[in-house]
Amino acid sequence: MSVFSFWEEQRKNITRSYLLIFFFVILMGGFGFLIDYFFETGPWFTVVFLGVALIQVLVGVLSGPSLVLSSVGARPINPLNPEHKQLENIINEMGIASGLKPLPKIYYIPGEKSINAFATGLKSENAYICVTEGLLEALNREETQGVIAHELSHIYNKDMLYMTLLSAILGAVVIIQVMAFRGAWLVARTGGGRSRRDSSGCAYAIVFLIVVGLLATIFAFLGRILLFAVSRQREYLADAKAAEFTRNPQGLASALRKIALTAGKVQNASIATAHLFISDPLKRKVNEKEGFFANLFSTHPPIYKRIARLEGKSPEQVLMELEQ
Amino acid sequence: MIALWIVLGLIALILIWGIATYNGFMVLKRRIENAWAQIDVQLKRRYDLIPNLVNSVKGYMKYEQETLNKVVDARAKAVSAQTIPDKIQAEGALTQALRGLLAVVENYPDLKASEEVSTLMEELRNTENLISFARQFYNDNVMTYNTKLSIFPANVVGNMFAFKPATFWEIAAAEEREAPKVDLTKL
Repeated sequence: MSVFSFWEEQRKNITRSYLLIFFFVILMGGFGFLIDYFFETGPWFTVVFLGVALIQVLVGVLSGPSLVLSSVGARPINPLNPEHKQLENIINEMGIASGLKPLPKIYYIPGEKSINAFATGLKSENAYICVTEGLLEALNREETQGVIAHELSHIYNKDMLYMTLLSAILGAVVIIQVMAFRGAWLVARTGGGRSRRDSSGCAYAIVFLIVVGLLATIFAFLGRILLFAVSRQREYLADAKAAEFTRNPQGLASALRKIALTAGKVQNASIATAHLFISDPLKRKVNEKEGFFANLFSTHPPIYKRIARLEGKSPEQVLMELEQ
Repeated sequence: MIALWIVLGLIALILIWGIATYNGFMVLKRRIENAWAQIDVQLKRRYDLIPNLVNSVKGYMKYEQETLNKVVDARAKAVSAQTIPDKIQAEGALTQALRGLLAVVENYPDLKASEEVSTLMEELRNTENLISFARQFYNDNVMTYNTKLSIFPANVVGNMFAFKPATFWEIAAAEEREAPKVDLTKL
């Protein structure tokens, strides 16, 4: 891998990610605009949607990494343990290589035998890198360094911020969807037994709310697809950045090979936290498959494709090597 | 009248661009200085670590006096080096000597099993990595800075304020450039 190829890779990734986020915002704007346009409701729906989105963003930003860490049962590392001390040393090395300051705090998941790691936290002042105990046991120094560099890249690139903002917006759409359908149902139930004039207004309101709900459903669906696409691009970008920091793509590639060859899910991971990990902690089949639907709904790129990019091989060749 | 405003607007734009470019150079310069200081910190750390390491392996390695002496001599030379080219050369030699020591330790299983030695070895490996990453970070910043300084139109501002290209931390010895990675990673 030449010095320049990963810089190019990274630039490509940044452009793609910006494009995706741009489309996401256009999509959201289009949603509010459509409602206001068809029902002549003025700016009100846009205002309400923005309000809901703002609350979502605030909740996302404020809830922070402590929730994620406690949900997977993570503990701070103990520098007296030689393995943990080595991990701390590796983070310091990556801190120098990236120039990132301050460094994230390090946690591990005791008793978790699968090989995995994740980063969380929106700002580097309040960021955490967490590894499983299985990772500490199974990977050598060079491989651990690759994984840590990958996680540090997520923090360096402010991926958590992007992802949190995107999922907050998505959450806002889902709230609108639920509110609209509930509202329609409520109006339908309480609307009966009134005068004829009222009931025609009532029918209008129900149709209106159902249309809003259906639109929200469509946008939530499209939004989720975009969210997954951004998540996948971010993984490639973090791989490229890790290669830049370590100047050793083989370390991370070899770690990914070990991850690919070990079965086993991370016990306390959930759909909500899955996108944070270096490889899908739930080992969902969709993440390793190719094809239209798999491409749309996976949070991580197929692991053999990531290895192929790091090693400069063809994906088919890596797949063959892994299946042996 | 309109033409005047257009000219004034253009001048303002060029001024703003000039200030931004100047600040960009200053930021990069500070970053380079900071990166250099980082290297210094790590080199000092290595000096402090070596005597401890040598003392703890001495007992086990009676037949490897030559390797140990090389490390001690190289350290002394590096500490006393005055000019920057001398320093770079001496540090390169020290890196080489330490790699030789790490390779030899591989041959002594009871040495590797000692907790004290393995802790020191990890510290040494950490320091070696910190030095090379600090150097990498320094060189990357020098490259960004020098590139910016040589590309039009930023070089106009650069020349106007007499920014000088920074020097890379070149790796002195050819052997060091082709450093056998195994020595540092297999432990």
